[in-house]
Amino acid sequence: MNRGTPVKLENVSKRFRTPKNGWYEALAGLNFEVEAGQFVALVGPTGCGKSTALTLLAGLEQPSIGLVTVNGKEVSDIDTSTGFVFQHDATFPWMNVYNNIAAGPKFRGVKDYDQSVRSWISKVGLTGFEANYPHQLSGGMKKRVALAQALINEPSLLLMDEPFSALDVQTRAIMTDELVSIWETTGSTVVFVTHDLEEAIALADRVIVLTAGPAQVKADFKINLPRPRKARDIRFTKEFLDIYQEVWSVLRDEVDIAYQRQLIAPGKEK
Amino acid sequence: MAEKFLTDSEIKHARTMHKTKVHALQLAVAVALLGSWQLLADHKILDAFFYGRPSGVMHQLGVWIQHGTSIGSIWLNAWVTFYEATYGFFAGVILGIIFGVFLARNPTAAEIFAPYIKVSNSIPRVVLGSIFVLWLGLGSVSKVALAFVLVFFPVFFNAFQGTREADHKLIANARLLGASPRQITMKIIFPSALSWITASMHVSFGFALIGAIVGEFLGAQHGLGLLIATAQGNFNPNGVYAAMLLIAVMALTAEWLITKLENRLLNWRPTQVSGSEL
Ligand SMILES: Nc1ncnc2c1ncn2[C@@H]1O[C@H](COP(=O)(O)OP(=O)(O)O)[C@@H](O)[C@H]1O
Ligand SMILES: [Mg+2]
Repeated sequence: MNRGTPVKLENVSKRFRTPKNGWYEALAGLNFEVEAGQFVALVGPTGCGKSTALTLLAGLEQPSIGLVTVNGKEVSDIDTSTGFVFQHDATFPWMNVYNNIAAGPKFRGVKDYDQSVRSWISKVGLTGFEANYPHQLSGGMKKRVALAQALINEPSLLLMDEPFSALDVQTRAIMTDELVSIWETTGSTVVFVTHDLEEAIALADRVIVLTAGPAQVKADFKINLPRPRKARDIRFTKEFLDIYQEVWSVLRDEVDIAYQRQLIAPGKEK
Repeated sequence: MAEKFLTDSEIKHARTMHKTKVHALQLAVAVALLGSWQLLADHKILDAFFYGRPSGVMHQLGVWIQHGTSIGSIWLNAWVTFYEATYGFFAGVILGIIFGVFLARNPTAAEIFAPYIKVSNSIPRVVLGSIFVLWLGLGSVSKVALAFVLVFFPVFFNAFQGTREADHKLIANARLLGASPRQITMKIIFPSALSWITASMHVSFGFALIGAIVGEFLGAQHGLGLLIATAQGNFNPNGVYAAMLLIAVMALTAEWLITKLENRLLNWRPTQVSGSEL
């Protein structure tokens, strides 16, 4: 197995063409590293470049300047040892639950995938729904499919882009809990993007706060809450609230900046 | 206010009642139209010499079935038209899908071929019928070629567009899950373009029939198109209608089969809101 620092961004900038033929800088000199087995949450105001950072890590796009390495190797194309859970539903609508979860092993030419598919179906609580198509599932169930679809390939790095942002509050809390307990058994390295600070602290070992776009690291917090965690209960403990206060005081400034900009240039942000 | 839920049998009963009513009214429309045509012709308000009449059409069909036509058995002629259209249809659909998906997946190739495709698409295709008859003779091959050309373009454009519109997120997801370019084409692109492709297939069988029949008009030894041309030459409107009736039966049967196939292939889609189909 290839071992280097699991995730490393060195002086990474990324710019995009705007419709008016100018440039928009989404990342400007972003630097951070993630250790093996760490669960890192990236938080920052909407539009600051969080998704962009993840697409670079996944190899879906290349940085304009700078170096992105995963497990010590420069990311120049999609690396299939990286798993990705998308913000919006990316399950295949023409495959039922079973085939969606089996997609990775099938694409990779794995022979005996049936047992692991069934075990992932049960781990994410979808037993009995194997034959359902995505349109026959609730939002939370589709997320479970997406999670199992990525995790069945045992990725050494798991990237998640606001995976629960489209869910209602209760479902979201349940999914956060389940993600914690599943992750605690796999031990893979995770970079989890969210704009929800509570979710970030409940899940992560470390919370990186990004500046309003173009994103740079504003602050980096270690979350020393005990594991195994029960994400739903931990939110009301004193330790949690203290950390929350501390991180929020940093994040708030950036959220304000982003909001002010949005007032000045409405329609820029989506 | 409803006091309790409707039972399944009540729902079913209401649906059957509705269907029966619609069918009865459809039949009434047909009877009214055909009946007035027959009456107008019988009372010499419409000249049956030019306009024919329903009873004449039925009689013509009877004669064809019992005694054959001037160009051989009616079944032979119907069969010839049917297989010309079917061959042209399948060739056009298969090649249209292959080219459409290929060009949409290879932007450079698409750029190179774009002007040629535009030019060949702008040629009025019926004109090609004459050329095909010259090149390929009076036999079936020239009709298959014309049917093919008529089917190819709509399927090609739909397959191309469907491929272009395939969700990039799904493609990215499949790549991350380990799919090869070939697997992406077969397992992601093709299924997502399928609803576009089947949509074009509905109109395409009609085009294939037009190709076969126009080809037969232009010069043939057998086929319903030739039968129509012969009837026209003999001032026999009933013969024209009778052949048209057979063509309509063919077109409707094909449409029914394509719909079956579509429902089978696209069974993963949310069930469509059912309503009137046109
Ligand atoms: N492909 C692209 N082309 C042009 N602009 C883009 C593209 N992707 C992202 N952006 C812009 O970059 C900025 C950061 O986007 P994103 O990374 O999606 O933010 P976040 O995920 O933090 O909300 C946004 O202003 C967005 O409009
Ligand atoms: Mg985003």
